[in-house]
Amino acid sequence: MPEPTEEQRKQWEEKIKNMSPEELQELQRQQCIFCQIISGKIPSKKVYEDSVCWAILDINPAAKGHVLLLPKEHYAIMPQVPEKVLGHLSIVAKNLSQVLLKVLRGDGTTVFVANGAAAGQRAQHFMVHLFPRKNGDGLLSAEERLVGADMALKVKAAIEKKLLTLLGGKKEIQKQLPREEIPSGAEKKVLAVESEFFITSPSAKRYHKEKCAFAQNIPEENKVVLSREEAEKTGRKPCTCVSGKKIPLVKPPKLPKVSKAKPETTAATARPIATKPKDRPKDKQPTPTKTKRGEGASLDDIAKLFK
Amino acid sequence: MECEYCDILAGKSKAQLLYEDEKVIVVVKDMVFTPGQITVFPRQHFTIMEQVPDEILTKCIIAADKTSRAVFEVFQSEGTNILIRNGLGAGQKVPHFAIEIIPRREGDGLNLQWQPKEMNQDDLDITAHQLTEEIAKLGDFISPKKREESKEKEKKDGKEVKIEAKEEKENYLVKSLRKIP
Repeated sequence: MPEPTEEQRKQWEEKIKNMSPEELQELQRQQCIFCQIISGKIPSKKVYEDSVCWAILDINPAAKGHVLLLPKEHYAIMPQVPEKVLGHLSIVAKNLSQVLLKVLRGDGTTVFVANGAAAGQRAQHFMVHLFPRKNGDGLLSAEERLVGADMALKVKAAIEKKLLTLLGGKKEIQKQLPREEIPSGAEKKVLAVESEFFITSPSAKRYHKEKCAFAQNIPEENKVVLSREEAEKTGRKPCTCVSGKKIPLVKPPKLPKVSKAKPETTAATARPIATKPKDRPKDKQPTPTKTKRGEGASLDDIAKLFK
Repeated sequence: MECEYCDILAGKSKAQLLYEDEKVIVVVKDMVFTPGQITVFPRQHFTIMEQVPDEILTKCIIAADKTSRAVFEVFQSEGTNILIRNGLGAGQKVPHFAIEIIPRREGDGLNLQWQPKEMNQDDLDITAHQLTEEIAKLGDFISPKKREESKEKEKKDGKEVKIEAKEEKENYLVKSLRKIP
């Protein structure tokens, strides 16, 4: 093919600029070696085919039995590949890996995807590399190293939100959000507010402080947490522990967990909810939550630095 | 056997938990190829990929894909590697199946490449033949239709068994009735 002249090149560039994404994809498809292999224009060593994907042997393999798993559709990188296809590929990869282990008697298999040239992607077609490994074959020789715990925290702070939105971790978001909403100073305030919460049971006529012996006699599943207002509205009267006339027998504070659960409800809703105690242990279960939360506020700052 | 990833779930590790649901866990470990690396693994303990049920494996891969997207966006990385080290020979360190998502940059010095080998055509042909034969032995390992059919069959069988059991019970009752003088 003759070298294109300056003008032709410019024309091409113009054309590419004006192309719609679909047209661009079509062009990429025409240029893609692997699409030509799949369409049979270029010969290959096929080992497996179904309606979604192909598996062929790599011509320049990392090891004997290096298989490339390709979706039939043209996708340049992994984010473009639909979930269904990815799931399908993973199942095929699993079975191929099994076959590789059996036939070539490897000590293991590597499943490898490169997204982008920086990651070592050579062709513009998404593919899964799958090859058998032998002990000491020296492939993929990068070694893991220990990084400080603060690095893990930075990474977490930076990526957590994005990841949760992508994964749709609703449960997690509910858990996480309050943590982020609490500014660093809020911890103390919350503690101050804590005493404004009282415990009662659905049938009780009085409400109690958490430490009150009466409150502790209420079975866990009947405990209802409410504010003074709510308690008064429902016609409940303060126990002596609240009105302060007489101090009833005080047992040592029962579960430190209970006090932790409260700040979370306060901060999350600004309005106390009658929580069933069965739910509560869930929120508080991570005792480390508290320490994390303490760091949570400053983590945002770290995240900014990290970016 | 001790398992580092199961320890993470038990809260015994320094690793940071990013996401969890019934099947899939996403964490940041402190042993990594490069900062920003994220690990996805199934909640249930499986040592190697071959043991992981299709459903869970699929969920892991999808989670890995989404993690990779998040890594692209948040760290503005120029690429990502998705790596499964399956077995000791492949450098698997923890006896728990996991997918690593590794953010990459031009010139980050990570050696996640291999020296391509020259293979002669005959060798390739032989390997291809061996693999194709073995894969054929597996039969249709994907077709969901077949699976559904087999499930339905199982269900039907189950129903029949139940019906039979009922009949037996009735028979028994009838018999017992007859026994009463």
